[in-house]
Parts: sequence; C-alpha cells; structure tokens
Amino acid sequence: MPAGLDWSVLWRPPYGAQVLDAILLTVQIAVVSWVIAMIVGVLVGLGREAPLTPVRLLAGAHVEVFRNIPVLVQLFFVYYVLPRLLPLDMRRALFRMGWETGAAVLALSMYSSAKIAEHVRAGLNAVSRHVRQGALATGLTWWQAQRCVILPLLLRVIAPSLTSEFVTIFKGSSLAMTVGVVETAYITQEIGADTFHWVEANTLGTVVYLACALLIAGVMSLVERWTYVPGLMRRESG
Amino acid sequence: MPLTHDHDAAGEAFPMTHGGGTDLGALLLALLVFNVRLTLSAVAIALPLACLFAAGRLSRSRLVQLPVTAYVNLLRSLPLVMIMFWVYTVGPLITGRPNSAWLSALLALAAFEVAYFTEIVRAGLQSITVGQRHAGLASGLTGPQVTRRIILPQAVRRMTPSLLTQGLIAFQDSTIASIISVPEILQTATVINAREQDPIRLYSMLAATFFIICSLLSLAVRRMERRRSRRLSLGATA
Repeated sequence: MPAGLDWSVLWRPPYGAQVLDAILLTVQIAVVSWVIAMIVGVLVGLGREAPLTPVRLLAGAHVEVFRNIPVLVQLFFVYYVLPRLLPLDMRRALFRMGWETGAAVLALSMYSSAKIAEHVRAGLNAVSRHVRQGALATGLTWWQAQRCVILPLLLRVIAPSLTSEFVTIFKGSSLAMTVGVVETAYITQEIGADTFHWVEANTLGTVVYLACALLIAGVMSLVERWTYVPGLMRRESG
Repeated sequence: MPLTHDHDAAGEAFPMTHGGGTDLGALLLALLVFNVRLTLSAVAIALPLACLFAAGRLSRSRLVQLPVTAYVNLLRSLPLVMIMFWVYTVGPLITGRPNSAWLSALLALAAFEVAYFTEIVRAGLQSITVGQRHAGLASGLTGPQVTRRIILPQAVRRMTPSLLTQGLIAFQDSTIASIISVPEILQTATVINAREQDPIRLYSMLAATFFIICSLLSLAVRRMERRRSRRLSLGATA
C-alpha cells in the first residue's frame, strides 16, 4: 500500500489528457440529456393536463413507465435490447458510432423527462386556474395559450425543481460507466486501479461533481434573478 | 431451493435453481435477498440518523448546524456511484481489513439516503407553524411535552408520503450496488446475459419486475396521500 498521497497521478501522462476528456464527456452527456429531457418532459407534462383524453393517457403512461424503472435498468435495456431489434448492418454501424454514449443519453433523458413532466404538472396546478382559463377565454388556441402565457409563468415557478433535476442528470451521467463510457467516474476508478492511489482518484471525481453542482446552482440562481416576475411567488394569502 | 447442476452447449456445468423459469426465479431470488434487504437495512440505519441530523440542522448552535448542513449538501451533490467507490476502495485503507461489497453498498446507500431523509424531516418539522408551539406552551405544557404531543404527530403525518417516496427511490438506487459486484438483481441479470445471450427476454423481465413493484407501491402512497388530505380538509383546520 502506498504510504503518502501523490496528487501528480492525476495529471501525469497518460492520465492528464484522459481526465480532461472524461470530464468533457460527462458535461456533454449531461447537457444533451438535459435538453432532450426538458423538451420531452415539458411536452409530456402539458399533455397530462391536455383536453384530449388519448393524449392524457399516453402522457400518463410515459411518466409511469419511465419513472418506475430504475435508470440503470433502463440503461441496460436500451444498450442491449434496442440494437437487437435492428438489422445486423445497422447494429454494427450503431456500435461503431459509439452506442454506449447514445444509450446513456437516451436512458438518462427518458428517465429525467418523466421526472420533469411531474414537476411541470405540479407547476401547472400552482399557476392559478383563473390565469389558464383566462388565457383560453381571450381567444388564444390551446397551444398559443401554453406558449405565450402558461409556460413563462410555469417555468419560473418550477425553476428550483428543474435545478435539482439538472444536478440529478449530472450525477446520473456517472452510471454510463457501466456500459463502458469513459467519463469521470470511470476514469477515477481506472486511475485508482492502475496506481492504487484511491484517495486522490476518488477526490478527483468528488471535486468534479461538486464543482458541477455548485456551478449549476449558481447559474440557475442568476437566471432566476434575471427572469424575476414580481408577485408570482407571493400568492399565498393569510 | 436446492441447487442442481445443468450443462450448457459447451458442456460446462453451471448451477441453476431447481424448477422451471430458471432465470425469472434467479432474478426474483436476487431481488428479494439483496435489493429488498439492502434497501430496508439502509433505511433502518438512515431514518433515525436523519431525525438526529434534522434536529441538528434546525439547532441554533452554529457548531452543530454547519457540519450537518455541509454533510447534507455534499452528499446530495455526489452521485451514489462515487460514494460507493469511496466506501469500497478507501474503506479498507482506513480500517485495514478487506471489505465486503455488501457492507460497502449498505453503508454508501445509508449515507446517501441520510442526506435526503434529513431534508424531508426538516421540511416536515418546519411546516408546523410556530403558533402551535406557542399555543402549547401557553396552555401550560412543558417544551418536551409540546414536541412530543403536538408537533411530532402532525409533522410525522406530513412527512410520511415523502419518506415513503424517498424509500422507493432508495429501492431503485439499490440496483447501483451491481457496479461493485454485489450479486443483486441487476448483477445476476448481467451474469445470466453473459451466459445465455438472450438480452431481450432477460432485460424485459427485469424492467417489467421493477415496473410492477414500483408502480404498485407508488400508487399505494398516492392513495394514502389522497385519503389523508381528504380527511384533513373535511374536519381539521390547521
């Protein structure tokens, strides 16, 4: 067992460049998953309160399916099962393009979209019913009402939930290591296993995820301040 | 279940559980013995600690409040994977003894859930208006009596749905223990998959198992929440 701490293992070649690549990959997976999850999640969340029943049922099914299956199980399912449904040459092309990362993004974004849809539904109930009905009464179509009136209010109300969901997505990107994506968690274990400097390697991972969480929280609080609408949060009376 | 031996196509013997539906049986056995036990044990450790930590977070002494707040924020920013790696790789360096994957997974999951349970308990305690405590003290009850007979019953009732939901999340997170090779359900599925190469059937069974269990449990929690809110809105005022 090595006696002292040796921090240079983290940047000494060949690990230095690999660590930077791994951190970049973590950020890329998280950002892409978040964008997809936001788009799908908001649509599904609005769909749960839509006037059309089949849309409501479909959205409800989406949320129930992707919320109740653990992320890791979803990841394994996407990674192993989906390629089998494709013809052989498409399967080879898929794996050649790096299906591990794609599967991770797909599974992570679907899981998070279900969570975001639930936040959107809670936020819809927070936006007063009078506002929602008033928007429709002025002659806007349902979709125009959502886009111009409801979504701006809704997104501001659920901004804290969305922040914590983004942090969760960042943390979820670490699960991609199980299918071989060389991101932060993977590289920390590789460095640890190669050099037996476990404390330094794990500290690297810890610092990266901590920094991401702090950065996201900071940016989101700035965004909340820029987009502040007076009177939106102080609705409770007495 | 008595273990018998069977032979695969290569003539190698491998153990299998007695009776038909080998794979499903093995999966469910792993689920029960490992995932459920891991979750319940982790929650049994985490919940009492969380109550202590919540009291610590609400205490007026900075000496108590700062470390607890730091712990909660740190553990909520890190992925469970990193925490498991910390315990699994650095634990033996501290205790000097070889570690067990099961124990590492248990401690990691418990430490992770303590942070989330602490926030739920703290929110529950803070949701009781200060007037309740003042009224209790004014009617002649001592401080501890007010806490035990007035604050806690109400707070516990409010916390229960969130605590149960978090317990469900912990159950889903127990699959992450497969990363450090705890032979729980996901790890068992991976082993079977390596042996039989029928991922469609295997992972579909896995996903379906979790879907059925988690959706039933979350449905039960929602029904409990609705019954409680109906009872409160009919009679009680505060």
